[in-house]
Amino acid sequence: MDAKHMDAAGKPLPEITDATRPFWTAAKNRKLVVQKCGKCGTLNFFPKPWCIDCGSRSLEWVEVSGKATIYSFTTANKVMMNFPGWKADLPVTLGIIDLDEGARMYGQLVGAQAGHWKIGMKVKAIFEDISAEAGIPKFVPA
Amino acid sequence: MRRDAHMRGKVAVVGYGRTPYSRAKAGERIYTVDEYLAWAADLALGRAGMTKNDFDGQAIGVAHAEASHTVNWSAAVAETLGISPRILIRADQGGASAAAMLIRAAAMIEAGIVDRALIMGADTPLTIPSIAPGLPLSPERTRGVFWDFQGPFGVMGANAQFALVQTRYMDKYPLRDEQLGKISVTARYHASLNPGAIYRKPFTMEEYLASERLSWPVRLFDCVPMVNGGLAYIVTRADDARAITKTPAYLRGFAEVNNYYSGSRTFPDITDTGFLQTAPEAFAMAGIAHADVGSFQPYDDYPMVALIQLEDYGFCKKGEGGRFVDEHDLRIQGDFPMLTDGGQLSGGQPGGAIGGFQPLIEAVTQVRGEAGERQVKKNAGVSVASGFGGMTYARNNRSCVTLVFGAEA
Repeated sequence: MDAKHMDAAGKPLPEITDATRPFWTAAKNRKLVVQKCGKCGTLNFFPKPWCIDCGSRSLEWVEVSGKATIYSFTTANKVMMNFPGWKADLPVTLGIIDLDEGARMYGQLVGAQAGHWKIGMKVKAIFEDISAEAGIPKFVPA
Repeated sequence: MRRDAHMRGKVAVVGYGRTPYSRAKAGERIYTVDEYLAWAADLALGRAGMTKNDFDGQAIGVAHAEASHTVNWSAAVAETLGISPRILIRADQGGASAAAMLIRAAAMIEAGIVDRALIMGADTPLTIPSIAPGLPLSPERTRGVFWDFQGPFGVMGANAQFALVQTRYMDKYPLRDEQLGKISVTARYHASLNPGAIYRKPFTMEEYLASERLSWPVRLFDCVPMVNGGLAYIVTRADDARAITKTPAYLRGFAEVNNYYSGSRTFPDITDTGFLQTAPEAFAMAGIAHADVGSFQPYDDYPMVALIQLEDYGFCKKGEGGRFVDEHDLRIQGDFPMLTDGGQLSGGQPGGAIGGFQPLIEAVTQVRGEAGERQVKKNAGVSVASGFGGMTYARNNRSCVTLVFGAEA
């Protein structure tokens, strides 16, 4: 595994491209951005080459509030099909998060015990640096 | 009316093969993907009384495999096996690949482009070069925007992704652990009757309930065990099939959907699958009702996935899968035999892309009356199999295929 795709703790790092840099840079600056279609207004996450609703390539990154609701969650007690560096963080609770403005994303749920989380619970985004170039959003109880 | 409604019974499966599976333990002979492909094809050809040279000028199909790090994979397989086919079929739809290639082959046969096809899949997930220690993923799976927005977010692979479906389901509908456990325990019981299954020692509900939550709520005994192995089948025109074997397994109905959304693209309901669309279409083409189905071979990488199929196929209402499991005997001697070969849960999954051959081949085996100790008796001549493939981003799966096989065309 080349160092480029893994941090010192053995966790995965993204390949940062022109298409995805706005997201990683924004998260580094404690902002959450998603793509918005310039034609129909649909929000989208993760980054796509055109609007999956109307097909317009006119997409721009817009900031959203980070306020969201838990759609579903799971708590991993083992690291499977991911990088061994996660072991130090176990248990890792991962949510499917519905952003208030209208987009859905994966996000870790942190700041409470694994047994705390419930579907429908309100959460808000916080940010952590994962490299010199990238931050990542995680979610805590609102 | 679908324009392909006339396809009922136009082709049949006349041979199939499933190699022994391996967990690649120390001291075992380790076979390559190429070796497994040839082995599975050899078993299928032997059963059909054919040779590989019968496929010169015909079609071969190859499922994408994690281990297949080569360009022109299907053409490379033709070269490796010394076959000169007119047509190459290639599917990269994960666990839906085997079923999807049968539809492609049927269409090519019906169009007169070829008369028969040899369809193969093999993978060696336990011995492919790994991207990181303990990470059984090919490099191509851990590159690109799709991975970049999952791995660094802490998405722990398929266990986590189906656990997310299960958590949502449990919030929306009634479900008890024992209901999923009954599917796993039944699969293992069937595996005990199947010499080809990788895990054959039955376990009890108590043992199921004591198994570790790898990714809550998903337990160890909910997870499909990875194996190395290969499978293959041969499909021909129906009239040729009758000359080849006394027991063709006719393809009576099929339907496929890819990238199905239940609800909006932004906020789809992840507890629904594309089988809501494919099952009624395939049953209509086949001209069958639910009561005609003698055995059901859902795709079972997790019991939750099998349970959702009971609902989405219409064997019960949405949300009543748990109750259906309680009220029915799922064993071969019961009133609703399912996963009659032990499924993938106990049979093993030769990589995410190849396990999908198993429901298809078990349905064919049951319809042909060749299942031995695990042969169902009632309505054995109709069996339904699923292909189910590909992980999405925060949704259910990518590809759903329904196949209906019949002893009668």
